[in-house]
Amino acid sequence: MLSREEYHSGVKEAWCPGCGNFGILNAEKRALVELQLAPEKILIVSGIGQAGKFPHYLRCNFFNGLHGRALPVALAAKLANPELTVIVHNGDGDCYGEGGNHFIHTIRRNPDITCIVHNNKVYGLTKGQASPTSDKGFKTKVQPYGVIHEPLNPLALAISLDCSFVARGYVGDLQFLAELIKAGIQHKGFALIDILQPCPTFNRVNTFRWYEERVYHLEEDREFDPKNQLKAFHKALEWGERIPLGVFYLHPKPTMEEQIPALAAGPLYRQKIQPSKVLDIMEELSALS
Amino acid sequence: MPSAAMITTPKKSNKILMAGNKAIAEGAILAGCRYYFGYPITPQNEIPAHMAKRMPQVGGCFVQAESELAAINMVFGAAAVGVRCMTSSSSPGISLMQEGISYLAGAELPAVIVNICRGGPGLGNISGSQGDYFQATRGGGHGDYRTIVLGPASVQEMYDLTFAAFDLADYYRIPVMILADGVLGQMMEPVVLDPDRRSRSDLPEKNWALTGAKNRPPRVIKSLYMGEGELEEHNLRLDKKYRKIQSQEVRYEEYWVDDANLLLVAYGSSARISKAAVNMARKRGIALGLFRPISLYPFPSAALAARAVKIGRVLTVEMNTGQMIEDVRLAVNGSCQTFFYGRPGGGVFDHEEIFQYCLRLMGQA
Ligand SMILES: Cc1ncc(C[n+]2csc(CCOP(=O)(O)OP(=O)(O)O)c2C)c(N)n1
Repeated sequence: MLSREEYHSGVKEAWCPGCGNFGILNAEKRALVELQLAPEKILIVSGIGQAGKFPHYLRCNFFNGLHGRALPVALAAKLANPELTVIVHNGDGDCYGEGGNHFIHTIRRNPDITCIVHNNKVYGLTKGQASPTSDKGFKTKVQPYGVIHEPLNPLALAISLDCSFVARGYVGDLQFLAELIKAGIQHKGFALIDILQPCPTFNRVNTFRWYEERVYHLEEDREFDPKNQLKAFHKALEWGERIPLGVFYLHPKPTMEEQIPALAAGPLYRQKIQPSKVLDIMEELSALS
Repeated sequence: MPSAAMITTPKKSNKILMAGNKAIAEGAILAGCRYYFGYPITPQNEIPAHMAKRMPQVGGCFVQAESELAAINMVFGAAAVGVRCMTSSSSPGISLMQEGISYLAGAELPAVIVNICRGGPGLGNISGSQGDYFQATRGGGHGDYRTIVLGPASVQEMYDLTFAAFDLADYYRIPVMILADGVLGQMMEPVVLDPDRRSRSDLPEKNWALTGAKNRPPRVIKSLYMGEGELEEHNLRLDKKYRKIQSQEVRYEEYWVDDANLLLVAYGSSARISKAAVNMARKRGIALGLFRPISLYPFPSAALAARAVKIGRVLTVEMNTGQMIEDVRLAVNGSCQTFFYGRPGGGVFDHEEIFQYCLRLMGQA
């Protein structure tokens, strides 16, 4: 039986007091304990940002790499060793801005990885610039006259790409968030969990209070069916007065790993390189010439 | 949003206290830069922050891009239509821009790129560093090209050289890089602002810019030369331009060199600290001198060689494990002894440390 303590890294968190990241760490530990996933079976991949620091605070294998590039790293690690549970922790700037192209294409490939985005709607680590998810009119030091662009809607984008699992969590609702993370990890295929997270230091608009007045669980709507892509897309557009939380879209389908024949014989790192196979090809080629 | 008419022009020659990053932004605005594209990264965030505020005030345009790749390609587009534009970043972001810089060089477009260098490789740290000297002075991206690289050593120079960079870029149709570091970017110093400064009067007309083709054939911006011998011809033309730059645009400062027994060579932050070491030595009657390259490309090889050969011993001081020293060795070409003192990874030496090292070299410690 794995206890919560097994996931403590002992490294002191370098986040501001009141940061939503503490809640995500908490929820994830809870999810991992409930799933009884051994730390050595988990690989956490992160980019750069306050969210990118996340794996330092969890005892497991981790890769803390480049800003924006966590997804390609995670994808290749999963291909090389599909036995690992691969979880990606990204910031919203990290995943949707710098890494936006990777986000789109990793969804298309559907590797079995869980992509968790700490969406505080601002660039935290670089001290408060608008991010791709900042709302129109949001003012910062670098957007002193307010953001003039439409915010990126990660859920609608993922659903439009037929992403196999699309969910939204909120750090003010920890038990629910832990359940979502659990479901995302258990889901076979690319699972996006966008987590609404206040940033007490740089986002004075989307505060806990702001969210508390708006969030509700999708389950409250008995008509809602996460298997219906169009309905899910429609729900994903809901923002403002009311903000839905939960699983928006579910479409189980073959993962990338399952479709690569070489992986049927087990993870690549355990497979022996067989020179004889190359010799056959060389013979074939010399017969041709 | 304030309109252009609301700008209060600063009074002539007013001296104000300013951080290096802000001085770069002000130098660019003075030079007529009205398009800024960038992406957040420490330790240069004050440049976009200042540009974001100031661009609308002066009738310009600020865009926070979705990545550095986007930012440099926005610069590419703005440069192609003939406006003065710039971007700024720090080391990892500048690496991402290298592809675009290569294309700007290939297409011969003027643009200003600021690198407030931090420690590397990889994510490194955010301390001041001179680890990007090779990348900056050797072209950085792919292909046979150079960019002009200027290395300011004070907040005043960050203002002045950024202004100069725009003229150089337009005159030679070339990307110009300002290479500084986090120490200089964050440092506050008095700066004399000079609102009456004007661009050089011999700038060529931008008769290549994509300004619309009414009553004339359309123009093309490209860096693709597939025809037999075309690229070679293009490369040779670029080379001719680089040679002209080497003969015309060398900048350096010499300090206490006339009677020196040991010549320090340093640029940027290292040069400031080396200068303090020279001052310390001179107070004690020890003859240190400093040669400070200001243009890192073109490197002031001839001037350095002439000075070094007279002194006989040269100590290159850098915040890295030895990059500019290669240019120093090429310049002196075996005509004198060369030594190196450096600290990498954001380690910043102080003048005392350099002074002590000089004493040891001179056999006086
Ligand atoms: C190539 C590159 N560009 C820029 C940066 C600077 N940088 C570090 S983190 C970050 C974004 C932080 O915002 P976000 O991803 O939303 O994460 P948060 O800090 O808010 O958790 C940026 C731009 C970098 N490290 N590398």
